[in-house]
Amino acid sequence: MTGVRLRRSVGLTAVGVLTVGAVALHNAGAVALYQISLATGALLFVMIVTATLLNVRKKAPFLPLGNTTDWLTFHMVVGLGTVVVYAIHTGGRWPDGILEFALAATYWSVIATGMAGWAFSRWLAPRLARRGENVLFERIGRFRAQLRAEAETLVLRAASEQGSTTIPDFYAAHLADFFDRPRHLVSHAVESDHPRHVLLGEVELLRRYLNAGERGVLDGLRELICLKDDLDYQYSGQAILKYWLFVHIPLTYALILLGLVHGITSGAFSGGLL
Amino acid sequence: MNRERAKEWSHADRRKSCGLESSRLGIEVRRPQRWDVSFGREMSEADVDRLLARPPFCHIDASRFPEATPLRGILRNDTRILRLKEGDIVVREGDWGQSAFFVLSGAVRIVISPPGLPAGMLGRREADRKGWFQSLAQLWRNSELPEVRDIAQFRSDGRVGVRQEGEDEARIFLEDVPTILEKYETRRLYAGQVKEGDLFGEIAALGRTERTATVFAEGETELLEIRWQGLRELRRRDDALRDHIDKVYRERSLAVQLRHTPLFAHLSDEAILNVAVQTVFETYGEYDWYGSFKEMVSEDAGTRLEREPLIADEGHYPNGVKVIRSGFARMSRQFGNGHRTVNYLGRGQVYGLQEAAHNWRTGQQAAWQYSLRAIGHVHMLCIPTAVIEEFVLPTLPADQMPALIAAPSPTEGAAGGYDTGIAPGMLEFLADRRFINGKATMLIDMDRCTRCDDCVRACAEAHDGSPRFIRHGARHGRFMVANACMHCADPVCMIGCPTGAIHRDRYRGQVVINDATCIGCSTCANNCPYHNIRMVEARDRNGQFILDEHTHWPIQKATKCDLCVDQLGGPACQRACPHDALKRVDMSDLQSLASWINR
Repeated sequence: MTGVRLRRSVGLTAVGVLTVGAVALHNAGAVALYQISLATGALLFVMIVTATLLNVRKKAPFLPLGNTTDWLTFHMVVGLGTVVVYAIHTGGRWPDGILEFALAATYWSVIATGMAGWAFSRWLAPRLARRGENVLFERIGRFRAQLRAEAETLVLRAASEQGSTTIPDFYAAHLADFFDRPRHLVSHAVESDHPRHVLLGEVELLRRYLNAGERGVLDGLRELICLKDDLDYQYSGQAILKYWLFVHIPLTYALILLGLVHGITSGAFSGGLL
Repeated sequence: MNRERAKEWSHADRRKSCGLESSRLGIEVRRPQRWDVSFGREMSEADVDRLLARPPFCHIDASRFPEATPLRGILRNDTRILRLKEGDIVVREGDWGQSAFFVLSGAVRIVISPPGLPAGMLGRREADRKGWFQSLAQLWRNSELPEVRDIAQFRSDGRVGVRQEGEDEARIFLEDVPTILEKYETRRLYAGQVKEGDLFGEIAALGRTERTATVFAEGETELLEIRWQGLRELRRRDDALRDHIDKVYRERSLAVQLRHTPLFAHLSDEAILNVAVQTVFETYGEYDWYGSFKEMVSEDAGTRLEREPLIADEGHYPNGVKVIRSGFARMSRQFGNGHRTVNYLGRGQVYGLQEAAHNWRTGQQAAWQYSLRAIGHVHMLCIPTAVIEEFVLPTLPADQMPALIAAPSPTEGAAGGYDTGIAPGMLEFLADRRFINGKATMLIDMDRCTRCDDCVRACAEAHDGSPRFIRHGARHGRFMVANACMHCADPVCMIGCPTGAIHRDRYRGQVVINDATCIGCSTCANNCPYHNIRMVEARDRNGQFILDEHTHWPIQKATKCDLCVDQLGGPACQRACPHDALKRVDMSDLQSLASWINR
C-alpha cells in the first residue's frame, strides 16, 4: 500500500472510530444522567485547538516533527471528527442566541473553507500544470508588465511604420485594459474560455481591414493575448490556492476565541458535569 | 538574472517564433582550440625544457605523439608548476580529482592514518547537527534580512589559513604542521624517490573519483600539476606510464572495487585477482562534459544522441561485460529511425551480462540487445567474455543469473521487455537533461503541488531566512525538477574550488559549502550544469553589506541546498510539503523513483 493510500485508509478509519466512540460515550453519559454537553463541548474545543497544530508544525519546519503530509491528514481527520462531536454537542439544533449563532456560523465557515481548500488543492493544481507557463506567483506582475510593454511597442511600431491608426485604436478600445491588470479571473476560476474567444474573435474581425504589414503586427498581438490570458489563468488559480487560507485561518482563530467565551459562559451558568 | 529569466520564462523563445524579434547575424570567429587557454599561464619554454630533461619525461618517446598534441605542447599547456610553502595543502581527502602531480623538488606528506585530518582543519564544515534547543531557537534567531553572516566567521579559526595567490587564485594551508606530523601518521613522498612513483593523484584524476588521502607540502616544494587531459594523452602515448598507472590501479583499488560489485562478490580471492588482471579499462566521452552540456540541451534528440560516444552497438558481437566505474551510460534500442532509451546505468552497474550468460548457457551467439552510449563521461571496466565464462558464470548464484534472451513481443516495442517502471518519455527527459546525476534530485509532482511555497519557506527557516532553492525548473509532463542542488554522483561543481570549501560531507555524502572558506570565486556556480548554485552578497546583522577591505566590493558567497545537513529531521522542503508533492530522489534507484512516480 502506498503512502497516500495508507494515510487515506488510516484517516478514514480514525474518523469512523472517533464517530463510534463519541456516539457511544454520549449514549453512556446520557444513560448515566451526566450533563454530557459540557464534556462534548470541551472535547470539541480541544479538537479544534488540536487541529490548529498543523499551523504550528508549519511554523517550525526545522524540528523533527514528522511529515506535514501526515499532519495534514491528522488535521483533516480531527476536523471531520469535530463535525461528529459538534452534532452530538448541539443535538442537531441550530442555535438561537447571538453568541451561539456566531459560534455556529464561524464553525461551519471554518469547516466549509477547509473543505473548499482541500477541493481546490485537488482540483486546481493539475489544471495549473497543464495550461500556460508555470510562473512563480510573486513574479506574475513583472511578466504581465513585460507583456504590456511588448504589446505597446508593437502597436506603436504599427502606427509609425504603417501610417495607420487602426491597430492603435483597436488596442485602446479593446486591449489596453486587458494588458493593464489581471482580467477574467472569475471565468478562469470556473474554467471558462469565453472571454478569450471573444477577444480573439475581435482580433480576427479586425484582420480584414488591415494590410499585410499590419496583419503581421496583429499576429504578434494575438500571440501576446494568448500569453496574457494564460498568465491570468495562472494568477487566478494560484491566487485561489494561496488566499483561501487567509479566510480559513482567521476564521479558525475567531472560532477558538468564540468557543472560549462560550465555554466560560456556559461553565459559569451550568451546575457542573453531574 | 538573465540566466534565471531564461529558465523560468520561455516567452522569449515563443516571441521569436512569432517573428517579434529580429534575428541576429552571426559573427565569424576562429574556432576555439584546445590550448587557447593553458592550464598554467606562467609556464615558459624554459620550464618545459627543464621538464623534458628529467624523468619520467626524458624517457617518453616524443615521436609517438601526433602533431596536433606534441609532448612539448602537453607540458606547455596541460601542466603548471606549483611552488608551495610549508603546510600548503595539495589535495584534500574527498576532493574530486581532475589532475595528477609530480614532485619536482622538495617533498610532500600523505596523511595515511584513518580517518584523516579533521574537516575543520581542511577548511571544511565540521559535521555538527543542531540540538533541539538550537533548532527551536531558529524561530527567533533567524534573520529577517537575506544572506546575513556572522562577521566573526571572516576571521581565521587558527587551524587553516587561506592565502591569496594572484587575482583569482587562493591556496589553503595548515597552520601547525609539526603538531600534525606528531599526531597523524603520514608518508613522505619526495622528488626522485621512485621512477614513476613521484606521481600521485592520477587514479582520481583519470577515474574522476574522490581523492583518498590529504597531501600537503613539507617545506618549500615544487610540484608539477598535470590536468587530466594531458595525463590522458601521456597515458595513451607512453607505454611505461600507462603500465604504471594501470598497475597502481589494479593493485590499490580494482580488486576491492570488484569485490563490492554484486556480480563478483561471490568469487574467491584468487578468482577476483584473475578477473582483475584481465580487466581492460575504458574511458568514453569528455571529462568536462558540463561545458558542452549547456549548449547540448537546446539540440534535438537525434543530434544529442549522435554526440554521445558509442560504447556498444546493438546487434554487434558481445565481447565482454562492462561495469561502470564512474559516470553514466545510456542503454537504448533502435526504434524507427532513432533510438529509444530503456535505461541508464551509473556507478557499479553492469552491461552485457544477459548476452554473455545467454551465450554461455545455450551455446548460441546472441548479439548485444541494446546500444550503450556515454552520457557525458564514463569510465568503465571491461571484463572479456572468456573471463566471465571461466570465473564468473559457473559460480554465479541462481538469483543473479539473468534470464535467457527472448524475442521481444510486439507489445513490448523498443524496450524489448526491459521494464524500469518509468515511462520512456520520462527516461529520455532524465537522461537528456542529465538529471540522472542526482543523488537527491528535487522532483515536484505538479498535479499535487498547490504552489503554497511551504517548501520554500521551510528551506528559508532552516537556513537563517534565506531559501536555498527555487521552486522552478525543467518539466516533463506533470513532473518538475526544481532548481535545487541534486548532490550529484559526479559533482562537477567541486572541480576547481580553490579552497575546497565545496565538498562532500564525510559522513553523509551531501555536497556542502563551508561558508567560512568560500572565497566567492564562482567556480562552482559556473561549473554546475543545472544552475543550482547561486552567488549572493553577504550582509551583517544590521543589513550592511560586508565589503572586501581592498576592493570595497561586497563579499560574495556561493549558496545552495545542503539537504539540511545540520538540521535534526533531514530535508525541510520534503517534510514541509503538505500534499506529498515533493520528494528528494536518488536517481540511481529507479525502483524507488518508479514507485513514487506511479503512486
